[in-house]
Amino acid sequence: MIALDQTAREAGGRIVAALAAAFRDLDLAEEAYAEACARAAAVWPAAPPLDPAAWLYATARRCALDMIRKRNVRGRLAPDAPEPEASAEEILASDARLIPDERLRLIFVCCHPAVAPEARAALTLRLVCGLTVQEIARAFLVAETAMFQRLTRAKKKIAQAGVSFEVPGPEAWPERLAAVLSTLEVAYARAHEDAAGAGTHAGYAREMLGLTAVLAELLPEEPECLAFAATVRFAEARRPARLDADGAMVPLSEQDPRLWNRPLIHEADALLRRAARLNRPGPRQLRAALHGVWCVRRSLAEPPPWSAVLALYDLADRDDPFVRINRAVALAELGGPAVALAEIEALDAARLDDFQPFHAVRADLLARLGRRDEALAAYDRAIALAPGPAERLWLVRRRSDVT
Amino acid sequence: MQYALLIYENEELYRGDNGRALDEIITAHVALAKALEEEGILRGGSGLNTGDTATTLRKSGGQYALHDGPYAEAREQLGGFYLVEVPDLDAAMAVAKRIPLAGDGSVEVRPTTDC
Repeated sequence: MIALDQTAREAGGRIVAALAAAFRDLDLAEEAYAEACARAAAVWPAAPPLDPAAWLYATARRCALDMIRKRNVRGRLAPDAPEPEASAEEILASDARLIPDERLRLIFVCCHPAVAPEARAALTLRLVCGLTVQEIARAFLVAETAMFQRLTRAKKKIAQAGVSFEVPGPEAWPERLAAVLSTLEVAYARAHEDAAGAGTHAGYAREMLGLTAVLAELLPEEPECLAFAATVRFAEARRPARLDADGAMVPLSEQDPRLWNRPLIHEADALLRRAARLNRPGPRQLRAALHGVWCVRRSLAEPPPWSAVLALYDLADRDDPFVRINRAVALAELGGPAVALAEIEALDAARLDDFQPFHAVRADLLARLGRRDEALAAYDRAIALAPGPAERLWLVRRRSDVT
Repeated sequence: MQYALLIYENEELYRGDNGRALDEIITAHVALAKALEEEGILRGGSGLNTGDTATTLRKSGGQYALHDGPYAEAREQLGGFYLVEVPDLDAAMAVAKRIPLAGDGSVEVRPTTDC
């Protein structure tokens, strides 16, 4: 059912957010939306709607009202009459643009400091981005049942503790914003991983442009917020160059900069400059700057900015294994694969065993050093962990190049 | 919604030579209670005497036993509480931040149940 899948991906988060804001009840919003999707699956093949998103929203609203009525029946004699089905006229007049955009509000709910930190990103991914519990569990490397319980506990806490469904006032931003930004970063990292842009996360990669634009507009004096908006733009600008004709991933240094989205890069540059003028450096500005130095490149004829990349990684948090792995990539170009491999081997391999970039980078360095068998084994591990077909294809190709 | 704001503080802050701290904090509590009353959100509350005045009744295996002292022997003890009626958790937190504390301490914000 392509129409339903696509609508759910593109508009699901917005519909759930609008329901949650209207009814101030996350469970109800989720259940009503799921019920509307089930009805769509049954009805759409025979009678496709004019505006699928508007149909889902209207149906989910009706389901929510019915559910509230059923809950209220306990202790009363007769239930109210059910909400009438939409008339043909209503269906014709319905328009997805009329669904209020409450996602920002929902994000602040999901990322409230009263919610357990380990549940915030998961809850945002579930409700705002519509990922399944299974997908989220995989992203956070926990069992599905554990993730389900974590989400259930968080929703119960929000409902019972009376977490507000409002965007907080400016006086609360410093406290509330850090939680929101780190949550969105986790969410965007998942979207960005999906190089093909065709997986379940591609839809919200684009939504993230909208969400970060709203955040940057709401919080023009928050450099980390502007920097995150810049990062999303830099990364999305490169999306057209991230796959080759066969659908394999193209690494950043081999991407043709002429395919990059220049207007989006200019937007990102402007955001990053605004952040820098506020003169309060932070890790997100550093990350945005790393994207920025790559995006200066105009064609493959220009040399890649390895020394700038290495200098920026030297300023980053050395306790972050992702930083260390990426730093090693730059180091390999400047100081040779042996130095870079020594850096990689110094990391806690057991802890990173499920971390695909660790194995991919290690495999490449081993191959360059002529350690064939070890390189092949590392590639096998990376391929097994590849997040999508584009990465897998690229890794398989690299593996076959090992001589 | 109704919330209980439970105040946990180190009682040493108010003992012995710190008697003046106690007087000051009581004055501040009286002022806060009056303000909350005027704002129409105060539903109840009280200060509590120190933990060494507490007697705890414990039921275990159908048997009751009394023991001297508070429920938990912790550095910070429950020293008082407010009961307030506010729209949501953020509003309750805003009240919690207005509660006077003599030094380091905690305010636990708990919604009450309907019944």
